[in-house]
Amino acid sequence: MAAEIEKKQNPSAESPTGAVLKPLATAARQFARSLIRPSTILYPFERLEDPKFRSEVAVESGRPIGVGEVWDNYRGVHALNVNTCISCNLCAFSCPDLCIEMVTVPGGDPKHPKKCPQIDYGKCSYCGFCSDACPEGCLTMTTKYELSTPNRKDMVYSPQKMFEQFQRKLPMNPIRLERPANEDAILLDAPLCIGCNACARDCPTNCITMLDIPKEAPKPGEKAAKRIWKEPVVNDSDCVRCGTCISVCPKECLFWGTHS
Amino acid sequence: MAVTTLWDVAYFLSSGLLGVLAHILPPLAWLLTNPNLVWLLSALLFGAILLGASMINTIMLIWFERKMLGRFMDRRGAMHVGYAGLLQNFADGLKLFRKNTFKPREADDLGFYGGPTAYMVTSLLMFGVLPISSGWSDGALPLSMLLALVIFSFAPLFIFISAWSSNNKYSLMGGMRSAAQMIAYEVPILLAVVAVVLVAGTFDLNQIVLEQQNYWFWGPLFLALLVFSIGMLAEMERIPFDLPEAEAELVEGWNTEYGGMLFAFFMLADYLRALAGSILIVLLFLGGWTLPTYVPAVATSLPLAGIIWFMVKTYLVFGVFVWIRAALPRVRTDQLLRIGWMRLIPLSLVAVVLAAALVLVKCLPVFGCVPSMGG
Ligand code: SF4
Ligand code: SF4
Ligand code: SF4
Repeated sequence: MAAEIEKKQNPSAESPTGAVLKPLATAARQFARSLIRPSTILYPFERLEDPKFRSEVAVESGRPIGVGEVWDNYRGVHALNVNTCISCNLCAFSCPDLCIEMVTVPGGDPKHPKKCPQIDYGKCSYCGFCSDACPEGCLTMTTKYELSTPNRKDMVYSPQKMFEQFQRKLPMNPIRLERPANEDAILLDAPLCIGCNACARDCPTNCITMLDIPKEAPKPGEKAAKRIWKEPVVNDSDCVRCGTCISVCPKECLFWGTHS
Repeated sequence: MAVTTLWDVAYFLSSGLLGVLAHILPPLAWLLTNPNLVWLLSALLFGAILLGASMINTIMLIWFERKMLGRFMDRRGAMHVGYAGLLQNFADGLKLFRKNTFKPREADDLGFYGGPTAYMVTSLLMFGVLPISSGWSDGALPLSMLLALVIFSFAPLFIFISAWSSNNKYSLMGGMRSAAQMIAYEVPILLAVVAVVLVAGTFDLNQIVLEQQNYWFWGPLFLALLVFSIGMLAEMERIPFDLPEAEAELVEGWNTEYGGMLFAFFMLADYLRALAGSILIVLLFLGGWTLPTYVPAVATSLPLAGIIWFMVKTYLVFGVFVWIRAALPRVRTDQLLRIGWMRLIPLSLVAVVLAAALVLVKCLPVFGCVPSMGG
């Protein structure tokens, strides 16, 4: 029974050439190829950054890499430009490993403290989602890959530490996903809006203004509303599409959409 | 004094040592020159030389396998301790030696500690029987090959004992598999050996090697060599027949519960058995220490030429085993037993019949004639 199933799944299993000789030949070829010089380098003693390996690696990747670099699209430790970060929280929001915590950095006003991401590399999986999500391009991944340490606390990189990576001008990973072009505007489902000001308060770029909106006239027999209704209006050129307003809206009346 | 056998070396050393001692301590001379004492010390030295040689060879074998496997996997293997990692295994051994030996709470003391020890000891015993060159042992064992195979097949017993007494289901399953596998492959191995014995006409390993002076047995007895090597692979529990240790399903099989020096015993004994298996193949099929005729006489007459030639062949045979390990996946239990009972046993029977035919015909066109039919 088992033999029949096996024959059906793998017709070559029964023939000695398919099951034994072919793998043996493959292994022998591999052995002969790496006998002179295996592809693996002796890492702590030899490094890919070493000029010795540059030519070899360049052939493989199709693009020459400089001294001090590894693969040009290597996803290593992040670099953060603290000055351009708008504290939008998008990086922390997109991180699948929940390793980004927004910590206060000096430079904000007392009412709106400036918060920047702090990354725990003990948890980070180097997926790069955070740098894809960053609307300002201030959180990028460098090619630095050596961060082993005997102390677990040293794995937590504060914004300042990542700013140092930025200042050292390590090669940056150029790969960044673009936001889908068709959904780039914040739209308002006006009848639901209660004018609570939450979106305008939390917008990192202050591009939301609450404008007075004339409400419909009272029905006959009813008293006119005393309150002034306000509705958010988004300044599209300043908006960085961080989505904070959508996530803070208590009535869920903001959504992604297109203007057309 | 012409030193011809290992025993002579040991005797020479011991009598020389005791002679010097007697010279330094004249009052004890009557004791130190006692022939019985000389004999006792030389027996000890003989054992120590054998032990040292087999241990060093085993550790070198592990190094050889690590380096070869590395190349098969496109890397270099151990590199840092000693030249090209030559001393890495000694460092590993030292580490294991320093480790704590612990025992699961419900495990049986005698079996848990006795099993690995007996496994190690029986594996070492093999090397007292296997001749490495014409001057290795005195050759006074007319049934040395049978003795070697008997010692070789002790292993499943001790593996099973240590597996059972470590009180772990994975160990027990590994032990059961080991026993089933070794019993299944014992039969074809013995039948393949029968083919060799038919042609050589003797059970003495020394004699079998001498019979191969004219031509090695691997050519005419190729089928027997094939069956014997596959059987040996299973007996050594190496990939693709390492079911008893299948890491993916059984943690580490029968040595799951072992750590520290006891694990080192298992490890060493495994490689001792691998070395013994390779040596057996060289002895039975590849001409042992007999140098081929095209080697110039200058090289043949060098001291230790036979031993060096023998070890080169042994390492090459082991290299083929490493190659197989690098290339083939592990088989399933049912496949393993099917290969053993349904393929290898018929094949080995055919090999026996072919060997009998060879004895009748006496001469083959390419390989020449069967030498004198033993005793
Ligand atoms: S790379 Fe991925 S896992 Fe690491 S911080 Fe960024 S989003 Fe989180
Ligand atoms: S996504 Fe970019 S701008 Fe927004 S908080 Fe993170 S680093 Fe700052
Ligand atoms: S998405 Fe919303 S919160 Fe973010 S910048 Fe645009 S308007 Fe402000």
